[in-house]
Amino acid sequence: MTAPLPPEAYVAALAAFRHMTVHRLGALLRHRTPLEAWAVALGETPATGLIEKVMARPEVRAAWRRSASERPPDAVWERCVALGLQVLPWGSDRYPAALLDDRLPPPVLFAKGDLGLLAARRVALVGTRNATALGRQTAREFGHGLAAAGVHVVSGLARGIDGHAHRGALAAESHGRPIGVVASGLDVVYPREHHDLWQAVGNCGLLLSEAPPGTAPEAHRFPLRNRIVAAISEAVIVIESRERGGSLITAAEALERDVAVMAVPGPVGRRSALGTNQLLCDGAAPVTNVHDILTALSFQHGRPLQQAADLRPRPRSEDVPVYRVLQHEPRTIDGVALAVGVGLVDAAMALARLEAAGWIGQSDGWFECVGSALR
Amino acid sequence: MLAAVRSATVFGVEGRPVIVEVHVSTGLPGFQIVGLPDEACRESRDRARVAVLSSDLRWPSARITVNLAPSGQRAGGTGLDLAIAVGVLAASGQVPIEPLERMGFIGELGLDGSLRGVPGVAPMVAAMGSVRPVVPMVSHREAQGVVGSDVHVAATLRQLVDALTLDAPWPTPAPDDIVDDGPPVPDLADVRGQAMARRALEVAAAGAHHMLLVGPPGSGKTMLAQRITGLLPPLDPATALEATMVHSAAGVRLPAGGLVRLPPFRAPHHSSSMVSLVGGGSTTLRPGEISLSHGGTLFLDELGEFAPVVLDGLRQPLEEGVIRLARARASASLPARFLLVAATNPCPCGGGAPGACECDDGQRLRYLRRLSGPLLDRFDLRVGVERPAVDDLLGSADAAAGCHGFAEPTSVVAQRVAAARQRGLARSGQPNSQIPGARIDELAPLHPDARRVLRDLLESDRLTGRGYHRVRRVARTLADLEGADDLVLEQHVVMAMQMRVRLGVSSRERAA
Repeated sequence: MTAPLPPEAYVAALAAFRHMTVHRLGALLRHRTPLEAWAVALGETPATGLIEKVMARPEVRAAWRRSASERPPDAVWERCVALGLQVLPWGSDRYPAALLDDRLPPPVLFAKGDLGLLAARRVALVGTRNATALGRQTAREFGHGLAAAGVHVVSGLARGIDGHAHRGALAAESHGRPIGVVASGLDVVYPREHHDLWQAVGNCGLLLSEAPPGTAPEAHRFPLRNRIVAAISEAVIVIESRERGGSLITAAEALERDVAVMAVPGPVGRRSALGTNQLLCDGAAPVTNVHDILTALSFQHGRPLQQAADLRPRPRSEDVPVYRVLQHEPRTIDGVALAVGVGLVDAAMALARLEAAGWIGQSDGWFECVGSALR
Repeated sequence: MLAAVRSATVFGVEGRPVIVEVHVSTGLPGFQIVGLPDEACRESRDRARVAVLSSDLRWPSARITVNLAPSGQRAGGTGLDLAIAVGVLAASGQVPIEPLERMGFIGELGLDGSLRGVPGVAPMVAAMGSVRPVVPMVSHREAQGVVGSDVHVAATLRQLVDALTLDAPWPTPAPDDIVDDGPPVPDLADVRGQAMARRALEVAAAGAHHMLLVGPPGSGKTMLAQRITGLLPPLDPATALEATMVHSAAGVRLPAGGLVRLPPFRAPHHSSSMVSLVGGGSTTLRPGEISLSHGGTLFLDELGEFAPVVLDGLRQPLEEGVIRLARARASASLPARFLLVAATNPCPCGGGAPGACECDDGQRLRYLRRLSGPLLDRFDLRVGVERPAVDDLLGSADAAAGCHGFAEPTSVVAQRVAAARQRGLARSGQPNSQIPGARIDELAPLHPDARRVLRDLLESDRLTGRGYHRVRRVARTLADLEGADDLVLEQHVVMAMQMRVRLGVSSRERAA
């Protein structure tokens, strides 16, 4: 004997409709029970306001009716249950408090993991998909430091900065947990390379999405997801951004919600720092290490943060100038030889030693510093 | 009456001797060619007849049968025109038969009786054996390269017949007044900066190591590749002859003297078809760009833009040094030992420095995936090239003198390269890039410091087993360039590693 379907099932099914948007779903569910909204969407009950206008279009009516038969509430609900997801319509008792009063709250949220994390300290770490090695390293360090201090790390699970921020948080294996907000359904891993990361965030932390299971990562869903990242965080830290990018959208959404925005400064003219430097000019607070973030949040972290001991052997004295040159900017071996004023062979030897010890990395012939800076 | 005239056809790069037998008899006038002539050859009848008539000679009104022996083999090309015409003239008593036994005739006939050149004269002459070749005036150079001065030439059929019948002197070949050895080889001194890339060119030339240049557009990859020819020594006699045969068979103009002496440089466009690169065609199996680069350099610019199937066609020549072509009726083996130099961008946008690149990781991975693993593996050298700094371009002496001295001219570097090649050849009988893995410890022994560095690289997974052997060979060449005859030192191994940039992924990170 099958149990009667809970009302959330109807909300989830409505969210899966083609031609359904945040505004339309919100309008359907406002002042109606889910079952009533379902009836309206199928045309069984007359609609008012926005929905009436929308349903006047025959293609929308037809699409909704088709979606209702292709993906009925029981099928959608079964999928949610099978994946272990919680379905949270707006206003339900487990719906995140931070989003209740939002200017554009998600009409429904799908969650996997510990919703209780949303009640503790949370900071978002976001940035570009085209990150430099230094940016990726910074993301990992900040993720690690925040998690070690017990702060939960919010991010988008995208390639580049987002992914590395969460990797850092997971590596800390401490009280701070990862909170991932994604644009696709919670069963549609995007990008594919982040499959293990999704699993880890879902198991150790919290995964959130506005989209029901099975939804593809359509382009328009990413800016929508960014508003959720901003809304559930106490502060948004942009680590690296070009002149345009999703992380700048997240920053803008944060500003509209009076959520603090901070940015990591970068070298003047470097493409990956154009967005973040502009944020600083526009008034975002600069941040160069985890302490800056914690201080800005008036976080009472009584004991000083443990700086992990650097296990790398110190470079030879003759290799240090090469390292310093690379701290300024990435260079090829010719560039290093010219800048330091040595021959090619000596430059090659120094670079090989530094790379072997883990102070620098090489890609396509370009050398960059990696890891924490040499003191 | 029966007459037999020697001639030849070309198949791949080899000539095949053909005996043109002509029989003129009474009966209804007719002309028949047997012996599996191809389309062009069947048309010989008309060309020969009109040429003979245009030369004020008599075309017999009788039954003429021409056999191309050996008859079971397909014979092709227009080069048999002359032999057929001469055979008809001999069989009808217009030229003496006896002297023809000591000669071989190659050439196409024009309707006005002129003799025209055909591709492949050199291999054809070589195949005809110890007869005196008679070739068109324009083919003199090619024939000369093979048999020296023992060649008769003629510009028209009439001249040829007069020489045979009236004992008129054979026409003298036109003097080679155009000394065209091709455009001057570009000089290495033109390259500003790029010390690492210039060093890598030396290594490539000295040890015959295949090289990949990686860099954004405008970084000078093509410029560098063109300068490698100047560093390679002239071809040894055997290779020169092979290269000459290939050039002749492909219809490429030979340099003065009829012999290809300088290492060829071929740079096919990336839209080239498989056949143009590898060779082919249905009857003659004409050599392609790869064979034309035999003994020299094949430069593939924009490696990622070549069709994958075309790049796949490189595998056999790189591994075996020959291209084996097979058709339904026959197969041929074309020589293909060359130095492969290729250039590619590191990513689709061509941004260059990290941070300036506009591609996201997915785009980069997809771009690099087109260069398949096995192909990338063939390159012993993978060198990064960057856009030159303003100082370098404007020729500041300090900048140029900065790393590893000033920009040395080709003549100086070529000497170093030649000496290093000699050392390598004396030691192992072949270029360093060919040293078999089993003999590498014997021929390229390591200094303990060098061994330590290599072990460290292998253990930290920054070097694979296959890469290990390549690095050791390149290190051997670097040592030879410095005159170090014996042990391979740490600095050689380190430099060899620096000449193998890792593409796409930073060497100390895993992809996120």
